[in-house]
Amino acid sequence: MQMIYKVSVVLLLTVLSCCVSAGDFKLPDYEKVKLENGMTLLLMEHKEVPLINIQVRVSAGAVDSPIEGLSDVTAEALRFGNKSMTKKEMEEALDFIGANLSTWSGVDVSGLQSSFHKKDKKTVIDIIANTLMSPTFNKDELDKYLTRYSSQIEQRKESPKALVGDYFKSLYFSDHPYSVQVMATQKSLSKINKSAIENFYQKYYQPNNIVIAVVGDFQVKSMKQQVLKAFSGWKNRHKQNFVRIEKMKQPPSAQVLLVNKEDAKETTFYIGGKGIARNNEDYVALEVINTILGGRFTSWLNDALRVNAGLTYSASSDFITLKNDGYFRISTFTKTSTTEEAIDLALKTYYQLWNKGINESILKSAKAYVKGQFPPKFETAGELAELLVDFEVLNINPSFINNFNTNVNELTVEKANDLVKQYFPKDNLQFVLIGKADDIRKVAKKYGSVTEIEMGDQL
Amino acid sequence: MSVKKIVGALFSCLMYVSLAHSLSLEEIDEFTLKNGMKIIVVEDNSIPNANMYLFWRVGSRNEYPGITGISHFFEHMMFNGSKNYGPKMFDRVMEASGGANNAYTTENITAYTNWFPVESMETIFQLEADRIAHLAIEKDVVESERGVVASERRTGLENSNFRAISEEVKNAAFRAHPYSWPVIGHASDIEGWSLEDLVTYHKTYYSPNNAVVVISGDVKVSEVKALAKKYFEPIQNGPKPRNIHTVEPEQKGERRVYLHKPSISSPNIMMAWHIPESKHEDYYSLDILSSILSDGYTSRLYQSLVDEKQLASGVFSYLPKSIDPNLFYVYAVANQDVASDVLEKAMIEVINDVIKKGVSEEELQKIKNNQSVNFYRTIQTINGKSNELGSYEVYFGDYKRLLDAPKYYEKVSLEDIQRVAKKYLVKANRTVGIIDLKEDSHADDL
Repeated sequence: MQMIYKVSVVLLLTVLSCCVSAGDFKLPDYEKVKLENGMTLLLMEHKEVPLINIQVRVSAGAVDSPIEGLSDVTAEALRFGNKSMTKKEMEEALDFIGANLSTWSGVDVSGLQSSFHKKDKKTVIDIIANTLMSPTFNKDELDKYLTRYSSQIEQRKESPKALVGDYFKSLYFSDHPYSVQVMATQKSLSKINKSAIENFYQKYYQPNNIVIAVVGDFQVKSMKQQVLKAFSGWKNRHKQNFVRIEKMKQPPSAQVLLVNKEDAKETTFYIGGKGIARNNEDYVALEVINTILGGRFTSWLNDALRVNAGLTYSASSDFITLKNDGYFRISTFTKTSTTEEAIDLALKTYYQLWNKGINESILKSAKAYVKGQFPPKFETAGELAELLVDFEVLNINPSFINNFNTNVNELTVEKANDLVKQYFPKDNLQFVLIGKADDIRKVAKKYGSVTEIEMGDQL
Repeated sequence: MSVKKIVGALFSCLMYVSLAHSLSLEEIDEFTLKNGMKIIVVEDNSIPNANMYLFWRVGSRNEYPGITGISHFFEHMMFNGSKNYGPKMFDRVMEASGGANNAYTTENITAYTNWFPVESMETIFQLEADRIAHLAIEKDVVESERGVVASERRTGLENSNFRAISEEVKNAAFRAHPYSWPVIGHASDIEGWSLEDLVTYHKTYYSPNNAVVVISGDVKVSEVKALAKKYFEPIQNGPKPRNIHTVEPEQKGERRVYLHKPSISSPNIMMAWHIPESKHEDYYSLDILSSILSDGYTSRLYQSLVDEKQLASGVFSYLPKSIDPNLFYVYAVANQDVASDVLEKAMIEVINDVIKKGVSEEELQKIKNNQSVNFYRTIQTINGKSNELGSYEVYFGDYKRLLDAPKYYEKVSLEDIQRVAKKYLVKANRTVGIIDLKEDSHADDL
């Protein structure tokens, strides 16, 4: 069938090709197109299997939600039917062809992802376009979902691992916008209704606020036309007002949040503090340094707490990076009776970053490790699609891939030790301990001023 | 992720279908070393990396009371030092060469997975060969590792209702066969086995002829062959493993277990029915039945329990690939204020409906379509290729069965689905496990 339509591309921005990166790993060529309505489209051919992956990002997340959990519920509610199909019709169409389509929200952005066979591209792209452009937020479906959501809030309270990160974020970010949780609470959930969802949708789900990456087994030229046809009629109707997010200041004192779980047999804990944004210029170097501290099996933390002391199954550390800031955390767990021993050992090991410092041989090993483990992160079309949208919405320079090896190689011992002093939080550390409070209350006091709450309660 | 050595891999419901240009027999090479170790190789240069997956035919089915959990413990011990690489050196050398690793133990197998830049392949062969041939089992390392495994066991039970109730259900469903106990073992056995038990276990089960090795990635078959001959072929075989002759007696009435957990927010229910081993001809029908029941929003259990009746917040079913006859599981998590008996009844209604009325042609076709797409999703990575080929070799006796699987699935008819539901998913063959916050008190019993 021959179809003629108006292509509303105003600007063909750039065709990136790439240079050599990790090993012989290269970022494959891709094309970036800016539509007249402001939407950004990224296209990359990847033909190892006959699948196509689509990643969509909307620059709005929990930080933009006037009600806690609203961005999360809105993302899910997109799938409750649209002007062309009911929820059930859409699910039947997708399930029958083995296509998946899911939606979610994070702190800074919301997203939609889909994977399907290349022969089904018309069906699935139309469904995605309708999902994004004309959701109806069907009331009956919404009511069912909110009931289920309420159950899931309660179920999360059963697992320390599910909640420890949320608690740490609340404690560390305190009154900063990033203290917001992605998931609703029972209280905030009661305020979420169809009209709140529609308002959030209308404000943020606008083409000039959206990035779409399509990666897989197709020809760029025809795929571009297909996506443009599906989305070019979408108009911007509202202006977005984004929350301006300043960097978090160093916490003024050491604090401990003790969360009582009456039947806990172990203490699950985080120790941490100030971190970095995802687009920090030293991101790669810090990844190498953190590999030494807590980013691999032979890291100092895992070696001390698991291998030498047998106190835990796993101990690690990370920089959790968000768009504008982030936090650093050490994460582990141990049986209730060894809580103090494990925390002390984690701290002693952490302070080795300053007391012992990083030497040539450990740095060499960490560099080899991060370089060796880099290419598999971008092996599939789905992973590459995610990478492309991340470039856009998290303000990451695409040279991140092609300069990765150079950035790793250029890190010297001297620079690494300087970066430790510059970035890793040393003072006024923040602690979250989830466990049986009666047995660890005294221990908790050692590390800072203690706030105690019950498992599931909000800080 | 730096965490390693996990128990489980229960959920590998991976699917298959034809797919000539994605993975064909011509792309797969195999050879067997003089000591009987079988090596499968897939050349794939999509990234400058490779992997080595070693599947050992040893899991909790090879244990007996007193040494339960030893297969999994052994998986940990394999990282704790050998003749030429002392304690910690396996991981240190591998990571300094750009490699990473993990391992997991199931009821049937222990798998070791290495991921590395291809230029480090020889180092990986050296490390693996040394621990297979010359593992050092030292007393203090064993003691420290017992603490690690105890922590692994504790954290699993603390964070997962599924883990807690599945221990009870397996134990009730099997009274004779070793699938009765959890892969991680009983706490007292983890504390109790001896150094001698460990030495014997290694000698018996870590014989080259008890392994299948799969290597996928940016490699050349000739290089792999040369390295395998150099490092793996000289390793001697140990004594022949004990044959597992225990056959679980037929279950002739429903079994029920209850687990009291005060901090749970709503009941979770696990149902399990005895089914045959994966090599049995009914495997394919049962696998499709499981997908019809719980894969996707249009599946039977999701539609009924989650969507229409709003009794559950989540539901799934699965059947593990298995050497001996095992279980077909259905699991549901109740919504708030939904009593376990209401949810249980609704679960059974869905199953009974399939038994009575069968399923539709459209449902069957939907699952066949899904298998095709899921196959591509699996084999789009070198890890997916290695894992699938190794699993087929172990569970179906030949990795080539992976490529034939579409044929077997295609043969499954509507009648087959109803027949297996009627044959296996019946009350007398069922074990029901409930985990809930209400105490199973004597007062209510009077």
